[in-house]
Amino acid sequence: MLTLEHVTKYYGRTLANDDISFRVEARQIAILLGPNGAGKSTLIKCISGLLRYTGTITIGGFWNKTDEAKRLLAYFPETPAVYDLLTVAEHLEFIRRAYRLEDDGYGDELLDRFELADKRDKLGRELSKGMQQKLSICCGLVHRPKLLIFDEPMIGLDPHAIKELKLLFQEQKAEGNALLLSTHMIDSVEDYWDVTHIMKDGRFVATQHNDPEAGSTHSLEDLFFSVTEGSQPPCTL
Amino acid sequence: MYALSYLLAARLKNTVRDLLRHPGRLLYVVILVLLFLFAAVGSSGLASDHVRDLHELAAMGNGLFLLVFLLGLWNGFAKGGSVFSMADVNLLFPSPIRRTQALFYALLRQMSTTLLVGLVLLYQYGWLHSSYHISALGMAAMCLGYVLALFLGQVTAMTLYTYTSNRPGAQKVLQSVLILCLLALAGWVCLGGWQSPQDRLAGLVNAANGWPVKLFPVGGWLGWSFAGVLGLDRWWPGLALCAVWLAVMVVLLVRFPGDWYEDVLRTAELAQSAIAAKKEGNLDAAPGKIRLGKTGLGKGWGASAFYYKQKREDTRGGWLLLSPASLAFAGVVIVLAVLWRSAGLLTLFGLSVYLQIFSTGQNRLSRELGKPFLYLVPEPAFAKLLQCLRALLPSAGMEAVVTFVPVCLLLGLGPGSILDCVFSRLTYALLFQSGDLLVERFWSGANKTLLMVLYLVILLLLTLPGVIVGTLLFGYFRLPGGAVGGLIAAGIVNLPVALLLLYSLRNMLEDTEYTR
Repeated sequence: MLTLEHVTKYYGRTLANDDISFRVEARQIAILLGPNGAGKSTLIKCISGLLRYTGTITIGGFWNKTDEAKRLLAYFPETPAVYDLLTVAEHLEFIRRAYRLEDDGYGDELLDRFELADKRDKLGRELSKGMQQKLSICCGLVHRPKLLIFDEPMIGLDPHAIKELKLLFQEQKAEGNALLLSTHMIDSVEDYWDVTHIMKDGRFVATQHNDPEAGSTHSLEDLFFSVTEGSQPPCTL
Repeated sequence: MYALSYLLAARLKNTVRDLLRHPGRLLYVVILVLLFLFAAVGSSGLASDHVRDLHELAAMGNGLFLLVFLLGLWNGFAKGGSVFSMADVNLLFPSPIRRTQALFYALLRQMSTTLLVGLVLLYQYGWLHSSYHISALGMAAMCLGYVLALFLGQVTAMTLYTYTSNRPGAQKVLQSVLILCLLALAGWVCLGGWQSPQDRLAGLVNAANGWPVKLFPVGGWLGWSFAGVLGLDRWWPGLALCAVWLAVMVVLLVRFPGDWYEDVLRTAELAQSAIAAKKEGNLDAAPGKIRLGKTGLGKGWGASAFYYKQKREDTRGGWLLLSPASLAFAGVVIVLAVLWRSAGLLTLFGLSVYLQIFSTGQNRLSRELGKPFLYLVPEPAFAKLLQCLRALLPSAGMEAVVTFVPVCLLLGLGPGSILDCVFSRLTYALLFQSGDLLVERFWSGANKTLLMVLYLVILLLLTLPGVIVGTLLFGYFRLPGGAVGGLIAAGIVNLPVALLLLYSLRNMLEDTEYTR
């Protein structure tokens, strides 16, 4: 679903992403893990078409800047993007109209699911940050994307919303969609990842597949600290 | 107290160091100083032989100080004015520093901030000196009065909010009293104009300098002192009254039986979230209370969804579709049309267009560029850009109508002239918006101060073709039509310039790096 080949990104003279190549297949949850400043958000913005880069990024076989690719993509920024003067329901109507979709009730289902149904007529500015994050998630899902990209998705959410979101990840995967999540919170992804790419200084420094049958001896946390801080991974008894 | 004096000194030192480390900012400060010197020195020899009545200037001072003070006070009722930042709340309040000391520290710091804001007024020295022969001392007094009005407005708001935050009834009573006082003042000034049919301006000015205005707290007192500096009255009673007022406010605050930290915390949090939202590009210049009105977009498909979305936001964004800044700018032009009819249509139009430069950057499109939807929606980038610009036309048209219907009527011009002014003003709105996008497209990474200078220079350059054609046709070749003809010609030239520029920027929504 998502293919990156030799993607490099500079901010002026600063190298933010260095020759990155990887794929995220349908029915796969891929994680970008790394410390602050590792280049995760920049990479995600390149994939979402928000930044320029060198290399190739395709979504569903289309170059990521094309309308066809944009239709397949949902990007969920770390900071919720909502309009202060639109109501919750109007946000979903706006996205539906912008993506040229008829109202099939899916937006209402999402509002129910994220406990926003009773806030349909609340303005964006009247929502707490957590609720804005939930609304941002609903806006991203309403056009039924095939590739979902989340930048630090758990930040600002309450336990119920985190549980719903994790459930949603599993459902989206089961429906055949691909997911790419960036985070620096290892605990938050331990129980549902398929492949994790650990980033440091704009590069992939390790990639691990979640394959219990292969008998991996290290936890994600051990691997993370061993490659980002240079410590030896502890022996597994 | 050592900690607080250290804080003040460190802030000052770091501000200077920051300036020295950022040549762009330093350059901006140097340019500002040079511009002021140019305005001051350049205009010192341009004083016209015909000096206008200084009482007019005193009346303007009264109006300005009252407006600034009352606006600060009004905001305080709604949100609570605060001289404390979130850092103060988190670091000073829990520390063993005494509350009174913390309060004085914050007041001192606030005073220095407002002093900087007041310096903006110095740029008015040129025309004030030319029209009223205002001295450097008079100009300094006007700036100081402005700063004190702003400062005392914030302190008063903070005190009143502290005493009434948990008593909505008391807040309403105070708000009602304030509105009644304002209506009484406005009535008094209008009565003065009505009672002098032979010279309404003189009547208005006399009333605006009368005792009811002069005795109005803070704004009126500062105006009284300003008139004193101009040599029309004694300068010290007004200032003495302001000093007593400040003392009373501080004593009231310090002796508040409850814990005023709680109220300050709330207002500081509000201010902090506004700053954070602004940094993230999420701030909508929306009024405090919003009437939801009709809900749903109802129309829009593909790129046009942006137009209908912005239309819905605009209906909630403010009275008459206009931002407070646009309304204030329109008010300035209308007041000048009343006071300075001899200046003629071209001068007033030029001033209105100059002020338009500052309102253009505050519109909804600038904020829309900060959201990801404009880039993510699978529609052609140019179509999205045009739909967003389409959404700006109603407010730009309204701004033109609100300004030029009264101005043209005051100047005795007919409906044809009104239409011409509105048309030409609309073309400038389009031209400036294109210029704004051009700056965003190429220099959005530059620091804010440099960006502002670039913005001003580019917008002024963009106006040149229209101004040159208008001046040549109707000034040099003297085609029939006069000033109004010149405005139409400029407008007709502005249109293709703006459209060409927009077309050259058609790809700017392909990714955020073309913008910010």
